[in-house]
Amino acid sequence: MNDSEQPSFFERPRNVRMMILGLVCVCAGLAVTDLVYTNPHPHFAIESSFAFQAWFGFLAFVIIVFLGRCMRPLVSRKEDYYDGDG
Amino acid sequence: MTAMADLPPGWIMVLGGVLLPFVHKRFQAWAVLGLSIASAALFITTPAGEYGNIHLLGNDLTMVRIDPLSRPFGLVFHLAAIVSAIYALHVRDTRQHMAAVMYAGAAIGAACAGDLMTLFVFWELTALTSVFLVWASKNESSYRAGMRYLIIQVGSGVLLLSGAIMQYDVTGSLRFDSFVGDGGMASLADLSWPGRLVLAAFGIKCAFPLMHNWLQDSYPKATVTGTVFLSAFTTKLAIYALARGFAGLEPLIVIGCVMTMFPIVFAVIENDLRRVLAYSLNNQLGFMVVGIGIGTELAINGTVAHAFCHIIYKSLLFMSVGAVLFRVGTAKATELGGLHKSMPWTTGFCMIGAGAISGFPLLSGFVSKSMILSAAGEQHLLWVWVVLLIASAGVMEHSGIKIPFFAFFAHDSGKRPAEAPSNMLIAMGIAASGCIGIGIAYPLLYALLPHPVDYHPYTVTHVVTQLQLLLYAMLAFVFLVRIGWYPEEKRAEVLDTDWVYRKWLPAWIVRLANSVSTIDRALRSAGSKVITLFLQKTELYFGETGFFGGTWSTNTMAFWATLLLGTSLLVYYL
Repeated sequence: MNDSEQPSFFERPRNVRMMILGLVCVCAGLAVTDLVYTNPHPHFAIESSFAFQAWFGFLAFVIIVFLGRCMRPLVSRKEDYYDGDG
Repeated sequence: MTAMADLPPGWIMVLGGVLLPFVHKRFQAWAVLGLSIASAALFITTPAGEYGNIHLLGNDLTMVRIDPLSRPFGLVFHLAAIVSAIYALHVRDTRQHMAAVMYAGAAIGAACAGDLMTLFVFWELTALTSVFLVWASKNESSYRAGMRYLIIQVGSGVLLLSGAIMQYDVTGSLRFDSFVGDGGMASLADLSWPGRLVLAAFGIKCAFPLMHNWLQDSYPKATVTGTVFLSAFTTKLAIYALARGFAGLEPLIVIGCVMTMFPIVFAVIENDLRRVLAYSLNNQLGFMVVGIGIGTELAINGTVAHAFCHIIYKSLLFMSVGAVLFRVGTAKATELGGLHKSMPWTTGFCMIGAGAISGFPLLSGFVSKSMILSAAGEQHLLWVWVVLLIASAGVMEHSGIKIPFFAFFAHDSGKRPAEAPSNMLIAMGIAASGCIGIGIAYPLLYALLPHPVDYHPYTVTHVVTQLQLLLYAMLAFVFLVRIGWYPEEKRAEVLDTDWVYRKWLPAWIVRLANSVSTIDRALRSAGSKVITLFLQKTELYFGETGFFGGTWSTNTMAFWATLLLGTSLLVYYL
């Protein structure tokens, strides 16, 4: 990397903060949408709970990453694990 | 025209592949592209129907069946072949070109096979040709992975052939129709034995759980362009075959749910981005298998639509990561990062693919995946619907965020590779346009589906709930990274079921061989000792100086004879 190279648009801390802020605002907006809009044809009762897919998506993502972290010690080995015999 | 239609679609590609070595090396890549386009033109102009009816060895075979189910698969296979051929235009390797074009042609032939024997022939041809794309990497690791791949794939073909022969024996027909019957959902017990064998054959190629690991083992070891070809055909051919033969088979719902779930956890910790994509492919197949298991018209439409879109966005993702591998020499997340600075176009195309697979509105995944979720909802399968939602968040994690983030953003690796070659960019551009085009002009895709479609993806509910799911998953990612809980990328080998036949079984066989050899040694040594002892004693007693073998003195003889006579006399008188 060239030392005199300018950080790109996606590397500037201010831009990163703005992008995260934008995401938070959009997410808040999507939650608020649920206050004014209800699913007219829910297949399941749980769909009608407040911002169901929002909190479910958040929770599912955290659980998946957590499970991945738990799995790592069990299935992760050195890169040369199979070398020579696999 | 009729004579041409009697030949299995894709024949131009298979035959052209055989003749490819006679073309000058500089033009071979272009010849592959030309053959794919010619085959596509022929396929599009062939009207629906059954062709190539022949009577062979007492059987009636229908080599070609183009109907509303095989048509979309044939079309998208041709499309994938054309895009992949453009992506591989810079390659100068006869073997790879031959393998790729014959493999694509064989998959198209298989998807349009009207009977089980024709299906078997093309099924095996896909295995035999595609393995050369793995071997073309020309290293020890890819050679071994290719051998494992070949054994498993040919094994699937053998199961299919056994099932076909049994089916002929039972029904007197080799026609490839549903094994399930029309009476709604069926269980495994309702399947005939031929049906079960054929299901196992399809299951292997479709990467069912515990039969899946050939995929993650071999695809990442193929060449840059080879993986793009591989990602399109084999598994989607299996999806087509399952949809044709086992729509409405209830256990497929459970199998599909498991398939959507377990790969996402592996994908979180996998470092090789092509392997992450292989897990992601497995997870996407799960959605389709669930659709086939539900088996309603909406579910089958959803499955076919999803397979169609999936082939395009998955090719796009493999192409973008392949371009990185081509330029940087590695696809490991730990070695990458910050590439958006020097590969902006590849970055953009990768993000379109990531958005499409995650199911963002206006991109292709949204209009197809939502059909399968809606089908689960309409059947009131709550737990299936919940699993598919979790899996959707998982897709967002590994393909939506992890792939583009760690390759092109994240920590700057300091690497400044050149942008991908222009042919690769054109191929990625076509695929990316496909993702956007289908996302917007979805009625064009719906018109291709096997059943009449009465489905509207862009309702307020669909768009809002999908955005909630995806953006809150993204928020969770930001949150986990900020608090330092998101797992760091690590250089590591992640074990999967291939560990059983790569480590455990060989170690077990060595242990067994050692045990047998130890017991054998002990038995031989004990036997030898017994024989030695016997010989020693024999010599001791029967040798010249031994008790029995030696020469006794006359006195001793006279003494013993007298004693014997005396004793017998005594006994006589008593």
